[in-house]
Amino acid sequence: MRRDPVVAPAVLLVWGAVALFVLYPLGRLLVLTFWNDGPSLDAVRGLVGDWTHRAALVNSLLLAALVGIAGTVLGFAFALLAVRANLPRWVSRALDAVVLLPLISPPFTAAIALIFALGPRGLISYHVFGLTRVSIYGLWGTLLSETLTYFPIAYLTLKAVLANVDANLEDSAFSLGARRWRVFRTVTLPLTTPGVANAFLLVSAASLADFATPLILAGTRFPVLPTQAFLQITGLYDMRGGAALCFLLLVPALAVFAGQRWFTERRGGTFVTVTGKVGAVTRVKSLSPAAVLGLAAGCGLVVVLVLVCYLLIFAASIVRGLGADNSLSLAHYAHVFSGGLKAVRDTLLIAAICMPVGGLFAVVLGFLVSRTQFPGRRALEFVAMMNYALPGTIVGIAYLVAFNDPPLALTGTAFILVVCYVFRYSLAGTRATSAVLAQIDPSIEEASASLGARRDVTFRRVVLPLIRPALLAGMTVLFIRGMTAISATIFLVSLDWSLVTVRILEGITNLELGQASAFSMVVIALVYLAVFVASLAMRRLNAGSLGQAGTLLGG
Amino acid sequence: MRDRGKSLRLERVSKRFVREGQAALAAVDDVSLEVEPGELLTLLGPSGCGKTTTLRMVAGFEQPDAGRIYIGGEDVTDLMVYRRSIGFVFQNYALFPHLTIFENVAYGLRVRRLPKATIRARVGQVLELVGLPGYERRFPDQLSGGEQQRVAVARAVVVEPALLLFDEPLSNLDAKLRVQMRGELSRLQRQLAITTVYVTHDQEEAMAISDRIAVMCRGAVAQVGTAEELYRAPRSAFVAQFIGRVNLVESRVLGVTGGHVAVTLWGASLSVPAADGYAAGQRLSLVLRPESLTLVPETAKAAEGEVIVPGIVRGRTFLGEKVEYAVEVGGALLQAVTYDPTRRGVVEVGARVGVMCDAAAVRLLAAEP
Repeated sequence: MRRDPVVAPAVLLVWGAVALFVLYPLGRLLVLTFWNDGPSLDAVRGLVGDWTHRAALVNSLLLAALVGIAGTVLGFAFALLAVRANLPRWVSRALDAVVLLPLISPPFTAAIALIFALGPRGLISYHVFGLTRVSIYGLWGTLLSETLTYFPIAYLTLKAVLANVDANLEDSAFSLGARRWRVFRTVTLPLTTPGVANAFLLVSAASLADFATPLILAGTRFPVLPTQAFLQITGLYDMRGGAALCFLLLVPALAVFAGQRWFTERRGGTFVTVTGKVGAVTRVKSLSPAAVLGLAAGCGLVVVLVLVCYLLIFAASIVRGLGADNSLSLAHYAHVFSGGLKAVRDTLLIAAICMPVGGLFAVVLGFLVSRTQFPGRRALEFVAMMNYALPGTIVGIAYLVAFNDPPLALTGTAFILVVCYVFRYSLAGTRATSAVLAQIDPSIEEASASLGARRDVTFRRVVLPLIRPALLAGMTVLFIRGMTAISATIFLVSLDWSLVTVRILEGITNLELGQASAFSMVVIALVYLAVFVASLAMRRLNAGSLGQAGTLLGG
Repeated sequence: MRDRGKSLRLERVSKRFVREGQAALAAVDDVSLEVEPGELLTLLGPSGCGKTTTLRMVAGFEQPDAGRIYIGGEDVTDLMVYRRSIGFVFQNYALFPHLTIFENVAYGLRVRRLPKATIRARVGQVLELVGLPGYERRFPDQLSGGEQQRVAVARAVVVEPALLLFDEPLSNLDAKLRVQMRGELSRLQRQLAITTVYVTHDQEEAMAISDRIAVMCRGAVAQVGTAEELYRAPRSAFVAQFIGRVNLVESRVLGVTGGHVAVTLWGASLSVPAADGYAAGQRLSLVLRPESLTLVPETAKAAEGEVIVPGIVRGRTFLGEKVEYAVEVGGALLQAVTYDPTRRGVVEVGARVGVMCDAAAVRLLAAEP
């Protein structure tokens, strides 16, 4: 049997990397949890005996379910408005831009803003309504903040699903005599059910994994798993306990991930209503004017809330102390560009290294998985996805467990940060690559081979140029995540290599919210700049709009 | 141009495809073929007969499960595609969408690291050859289907391959263009004298361009021969039915006399010239081409070496230069064709006629088990 001289080494290389940076750390994590001079359940038993940890499990699940429901409902409303209400073009563009904000913001953004707005001396709660007894800390504050942060995931998912429901199907229901509400209930809603379930699971997974929001808003009376695991390690130096908490988090996370995969593998969570036959373009009329008005009012309120949040952050960054001393000052920015400059530089440098490395890894993996045959192909696809699917806290602690001691003492180096990002955030690029390759007939590559090109030459001269849009999208996501990630990397930073997001957290814990706001503004500006440049480049590549890149950011 | 044709030989090549949850399907089963240097051999057959799989194994896109493949006497079975010196023209052309026409054609030359000047000269030359000079800077999506087809051919031949392979290259073109392009392909192939394997399901296309045709059926080669041989002397009912139109009439051998076999036809006896190997009492089929059945008046008398049987005309299609009839004889419908109806007249539907068969036009087909 002949072997392709290029594919086999590439597969081995990728498997080796994935084994070292995905399987090995997770294995070490499980060993630490269940092995103490022999198989042992002590660590898990210790958790169950502790009220806080029992509550953390229940709270995490409750919060994930509630955020899932609220985020899906909100996302569905926005999607209906965007797809079914015949909005003017600029309105739907503006809607997309605002909705994109929470997705690409650094963590804590919504949380800080909510403290400014609804905290004990909040702008809205105290200064507008004079309330003194509202508490933003706990379940409700966390729920509100996470819903605002993660409903865009549901929006992007459901928008695609709704857009795929052929309006002609609704027309045919109308032609059979059904009224609007009946059409919505009997045609539109059933057709989107798989998509709704998928959106719910995506949002729940995001909430389950969220570390930043509960760290700020949950407080001591509402412990959740990711923050408990963090505190167990950084506060109590209890690695085994932290690992066991990770295991508690791992189980529901894997369940949600499996459920979500099950839904998407049933054809991307949608019914196939696209028949390939283009129906007559029909004006959508499934929403009554009153319904559109209601939706617009509701969504408008949310948009205003999101904008207020960001305005508050901006305001906090340019005054001495928002709510206390409202005099204009650039002191916070001065700090960012003096004492904080190293963190900004480090973050940018690491993101810049991640882009080409992770981008190449993403397209090579996507190409291998969708265009070549080798034993264990599905397994590789699954394993490569794990670091992306698991909550960052788990990945971070697993890395800490695996790479803290010789021979692989890597924590605190730039290398481990880059590795963490590459294996956690390349998946968007891999998926985009698979999607683009699905559009390209394999005969194009065969043509290259028939003309004498080896597999690697074909990849370089034919495949790579054709999947440039996927590469670009993948690199953009890597950059954004590199700028905004915290949950995994907080365990890996050091004095040598710090990150902006960690400085934001420090700002909050030191009650220097103005500084945190200034850092946040800088990150938002950089990310928006990157998205802008990427969408310009994408337009030059003549392939899709930001909307597509936007959908890749979800999760 | 110089003769650069190499021979191609397939030796007992087999390929199975395993689909999940299904038994392995033999796509190609024990196929042996030989193509002479410079020859154009067509693999002809219905879809799913294994012709494309055979071609893809020759190219190296698929690996045979058994058997060997030789190009120019060299065993290439274990050679990767890119080492085989082939030119492959795909059904959908498979032009590189991100490259200009010049870069598409130059691709194989660049891979071979030829000097720039040589590349420029050869690309210009070959574009001239396929009738597309001046197209260098366009992109594939700016070309019509026929033009893309020519670029695909130019890209395949510019590397001077030992073997040229076509996979249903004309099936995406409309009927008129198809006829024109097949003429051009045939001319080009003869001019370059590259050994060529051509896959098609269109028997007319196959007959128009091939030196020889290999008719494939269910993964096996049913018969190889020139178009004329296949039409005149099919060796199986499948080939008889696939090449041209045919009436197969069941028959029995009455007796064998040196060089002739006496067989039954519609209850009469007919002496047909045939090779040895038949025995009295043997069951077989008679191959009667529509044009060898002549409609005669009901009352006509059969001469020596002819059989006439009464029938009723059940259908008639007037096609200008010919008329096709469906004639009911003994409960079965026969196809008959009359050429030049203006001179010979047209018979009405429902008319009672005699159907005359000439012994010289009859071929024998041993009944298949």
